[in-house]
Amino acid sequence: MDKLRAKVRSLLTEGKVAGYLGYLIKDGHPLPHFFTKENLAEVDQAMVAPDSARYPLDKLLIALAGRYPEAIFAIQVRGCDERGLNELYKWGQLDPEKVVPVGVACTQNQADYCECPGPWASVVDYGEKCLPVAKSRRVERIDTLAEQDAFQEWLAAFKRCIKCYGCRDVCPMCFCKECSLEHEDLMSTGQLPPDTIFQLVRAIHMAGRCIDCGLCEETCPADIPLRVLYKKANALVKDLFDYDVGSPGAGPSPWKVLGEDATLEAKPM
Amino acid sequence: MSDSTFEPKIIGFFCNWCTYAGADLAGVSRLQYPSNIRVIRVMCSGTVSPHHVLRAFQKGADGVLIGGCHIGDCHYLRGNYMTVKRMRFLQDLLKFTGFEPGRLHLEWISAAEGPKFAQTVRDFTEKIKKIGPSRLIAAVKAA
Ligand code: SF4
Ligand code: SF4
Ligand code: SF4
Ligand code: FES
Repeated sequence: MDKLRAKVRSLLTEGKVAGYLGYLIKDGHPLPHFFTKENLAEVDQAMVAPDSARYPLDKLLIALAGRYPEAIFAIQVRGCDERGLNELYKWGQLDPEKVVPVGVACTQNQADYCECPGPWASVVDYGEKCLPVAKSRRVERIDTLAEQDAFQEWLAAFKRCIKCYGCRDVCPMCFCKECSLEHEDLMSTGQLPPDTIFQLVRAIHMAGRCIDCGLCEETCPADIPLRVLYKKANALVKDLFDYDVGSPGAGPSPWKVLGEDATLEAKPM
Repeated sequence: MSDSTFEPKIIGFFCNWCTYAGADLAGVSRLQYPSNIRVIRVMCSGTVSPHHVLRAFQKGADGVLIGGCHIGDCHYLRGNYMTVKRMRFLQDLLKFTGFEPGRLHLEWISAAEGPKFAQTVRDFTEKIKKIGPSRLIAAVKAA
């Protein structure tokens, strides 16, 4: 942790950043914390949230940057958080000139749990790089099911939804001012379970945008395997458009541009 | 699930400039096609969101047919590039979740292709009749 703290301390004291978004233990819990030069002593307690304690720091940064558009902030990022930053730059939600990443490498345990193909940030200020996980067994399992069985499985999961919107509210990549999930003409209101298409609509919006942090699934009180759905949505975007979500070199999102050529054909009936 | 008395509900999203005009031509040429289709006219097939398609399925459509101009003929130049991206993606997502991807079809039909329009509607209606009533609606009704 010394290396990370030293980096944060010098960023703050040299005035390179107006603050650092990281974690601090409060009442025994690791919680997001905003570190500043004025409270420099707190940096001695700055830490990396352990595997299971994670928050959408990118989302907090969007709020901060909105309030202080001129300021530069440092932020603790894991692999997924950094993919999030890269994607948020593209969608005009953050300015790369105003963000300094403080990078973390995740543990093997965490990478295995997440089935994560990129479990570290491009700069590593804490942790050792572990082995990435290229494939998702959870997705592969569903892929092998007969369509009818896949339907029954998803239907049973979707029916448990209590429409708390937790998946959306925690998501660092959900930044729209108006949400389709609450559009009165497109989604039935005042009923549980919600429309069967509720999770599919969200999956459409997350395809090519989800940075696979897994916070939605961890938040969901109904244990809906949301991450599997969005992992697949991203895999389809990769197959169809060769787009790698969150990679700095990936070019514009396929949903943002019409494209110079129509690279796909309509499927025959 | 095939049922000879089953009359499917089919929603057509047709672009104003090509497929809708093609439907008009089929009409004035007195070409026969099944009356299962309910048409929604849109300015460009590229304005049809996957959410609109899902909404149609949720509200009871057994099939959804998207019609647009041929590639290169879109009146907004490349609007239909987005149409094919969205619909191909949605078909694959529907497949993964078992939501019967065959119920969604995209066809390019120009204003001059009245016969192709009638044939497409006939074929698609026939296909949906074979697939039978929507799994999603059966699930909603059972709930
Ligand atoms: S997805 Fe999981 S393993 Fe990958 S960077 Fe994020 S927290 Fe670490
Ligand atoms: S994993 Fe969930 S919370 Fe994280 S970016 Fe994707 S949709 Fe959002
Ligand atoms: S977090 Fe789970 S229960 Fe809540 S709205 Fe999302 S899917 Fe439904
Ligand atoms: S105007 Fe017909 S597809 Fe765009």
